Amino acid sequence: MRLPRALVFLGAALACGSGAPEGIVVSFPGSALGAEAELLQSQLERFMALQPEIRVVQQRTPDAADQRHRLYVQWLNAWADDPDILQLDVIWTPEFAAAGWTLPLKRFEPDTSDFFPATVATNSWRGELHAVPWFVDVGLLYWRSDLLGRAPRSLDELLDAASRERRVRHGWVWQGARYEGLVTVFVELLGAFGAAILDDAGRVVVDSPQAVRALEVLRNALDAGVVPRDALSWQEEQTRFAFQNGHALFMRNWPYAYPLMQQPGESAVAGRFRVTALPAAPGGRPSAALGGSQLAINARSDEPDAAWQVIAFLTHPDQMRERAERLGQYPPRRSLYAGDSLAGALAIPPAEARQVIEHAVARPATPVYTELSGVLQIWLHRALSGQESPEDALAGAAREIRKLLKRSGLAAETRDGMAP
Amino acid sequence: MTRPESERREARLAWLLCAPALAAILAVAVFPLGWTLLESLHLHDLRMPWLGRPFVALANYTEALAQPRFWQALAHTAFFAAASVSLEIVLGLLLALGLHGAFRGRGLARTAALLPWAIPTVVAALVWRFLFEGPTGAANQMLVGSGLVGEAPVWFADARLAWVPIILADVWKTTPFVALLLLAGLQGIDAELYEAARVDGAGALARFRHVTLPLLRPALVVAVIFRALDALRVFDLVYVLTAGGPGTATEPVAVYAFQSLLQDLRFGYGSALSLIIFGVSFALAWAYIRLAGASLIEVER
Repeated sequence: MRLPRALVFLGAALACGSGAPEGIVVSFPGSALGAEAELLQSQLERFMALQPEIRVVQQRTPDAADQRHRLYVQWLNAWADDPDILQLDVIWTPEFAAAGWTLPLKRFEPDTSDFFPATVATNSWRGELHAVPWFVDVGLLYWRSDLLGRAPRSLDELLDAASRERRVRHGWVWQGARYEGLVTVFVELLGAFGAAILDDAGRVVVDSPQAVRALEVLRNALDAGVVPRDALSWQEEQTRFAFQNGHALFMRNWPYAYPLMQQPGESAVAGRFRVTALPAAPGGRPSAALGGSQLAINARSDEPDAAWQVIAFLTHPDQMRERAERLGQYPPRRSLYAGDSLAGALAIPPAEARQVIEHAVARPATPVYTELSGVLQIWLHRALSGQESPEDALAGAAREIRKLLKRSGLAAETRDGMAP
Repeated sequence: MTRPESERREARLAWLLCAPALAAILAVAVFPLGWTLLESLHLHDLRMPWLGRPFVALANYTEALAQPRFWQALAHTAFFAAASVSLEIVLGLLLALGLHGAFRGRGLARTAALLPWAIPTVVAALVWRFLFEGPTGAANQMLVGSGLVGEAPVWFADARLAWVPIILADVWKTTPFVALLLLAGLQGIDAELYEAARVDGAGALARFRHVTLPLLRPALVVAVIFRALDALRVFDLVYVLTAGGPGTATEPVAVYAFQSLLQDLRFGYGSALSLIIFGVSFALAWAYIRLAGASLIEVER
């Protein structure tokens, strides 16, 4: 546990060059590639021009989310005071907050009235905001507008069109590998059926009859050949390739795929597809999984005030608009969707985008989400690959998740008895 | 007498000279093992720092032994070891017999046969994944093209079929190693014994059964123990090919321990798992050496 910390210092020392660090230095790790890295760099330079006494030092971290997460956990467990700013995935905030690794942001009096309520809720722990939403990701249903007259209005319509489709190879493609993406696919189906993993009181309800039906939809689609069995090892990119090469009628994916598939040279479906939310099953509602990135402050940071200034600058409407325009990433501020300023930048008309995000379903906000998801991934994959029935698989998942919550001291049944 | 005195001094000097090496062994082997033991007796969950790091005695061990996933992983490991090692021994023996004969280009053939062994496991695993992945993978094209199967199987989505690429990849990669060990054994057999057997009227099969096999036994024993211990701690091949999936249908204990320790960051529980694996491997190696050692002595008689 010493080693990563030493590496942080080494990294910071190298980044500072030969001169002794002067003024305030704020360190900021995060995954940033290509256009995203360029934009962040130019925004940080603008910030430093406005605030010459603060220097922001960027640290390279792994781009794969789970690797970055592991690295953060090791740093923060060692109570490292670097990095000052943390870029968190939407599902990590409760974990880091409960561990006491992130600074409650109340003392900076952040104004969250403009943000989508769901993004504020997922970034709060025990009523306190711990991270500021930076950009939003939502799961979208991509559909071939050249093969269908209109988007399916119900889940049954989707399944019907997908199973009758003969012009392309696959009716429907999604991420079926055993990883976080599979959970987001399942969470969307749960939303469409009005089911959930945990209820509002934090009790495990992933084995409810509605949830079983949601999993049966995924399993039946595989068994009927509507979804290719290969999808059980597919992540986002493999599904994108299948759709982009014109082999699928429907695809579940994140917004990043939209601009890539609109490039005529690269894509066989440029201009021939559109997006919508996953349509509802009877008893549910249209559904999209909520994802995205947030910015938080290390509880042990030496420079929390300077770190807050950086975060406030990056999450200011001007910088968010620029991010949306340049990268097509959805801003978490609702006011930016008014008018036409983002019309050309986003995959769907801003008003529609806002609607999808308003209805987006969050994954469970629990400090043990990563382990909970790991359990669920295994049981979902067992059910989809035919080793267990959907009912038995969800019963097994519920049993293990209950055990996990009990072990963590966070079970709804025992929470009242726990120390605050 | 001065001799014992000088010998004693020499012995002291020897210990002194060995001390740095002994200290290094203590530091890199004994200390981590002791630390792991200590960890395994605590609840230490990096994902749940609010629980602290209390001493829990054997709770981690009892949890592991009560976990179906642990027993399944153990069964997977045993199955993998049995299937891959037996195939490797049979094929390795055939390969060794082939390479043992005198023929033109023997040196080249021996080098070429060793090639798979020289490829890093992760690279080999990736190659095998490409061969078996998707309907257009080489394996499926061959199967469908030859008319053996009507529809291309999806290897990695089936709890049983997923073993095929794993075992094939391991056999492909390590058979040359087994062959090399056995070839060395074959070359140690006196050619006169074959002559004598032939004079006595023994056919090729009889010569193999009564001369080659018994005299090859020490080499076979060494090959089996090397391969079995390797197979019991299989990690990289499975991690790259299936990551233990679908579900956890191909998960060996090493992958399970890795998941618990480095993915879930459960240091206490993961340490307990690691020590259980260590104990199992150690016990097996010990038992095997006892048995094989006895048979080696028999051969010498």
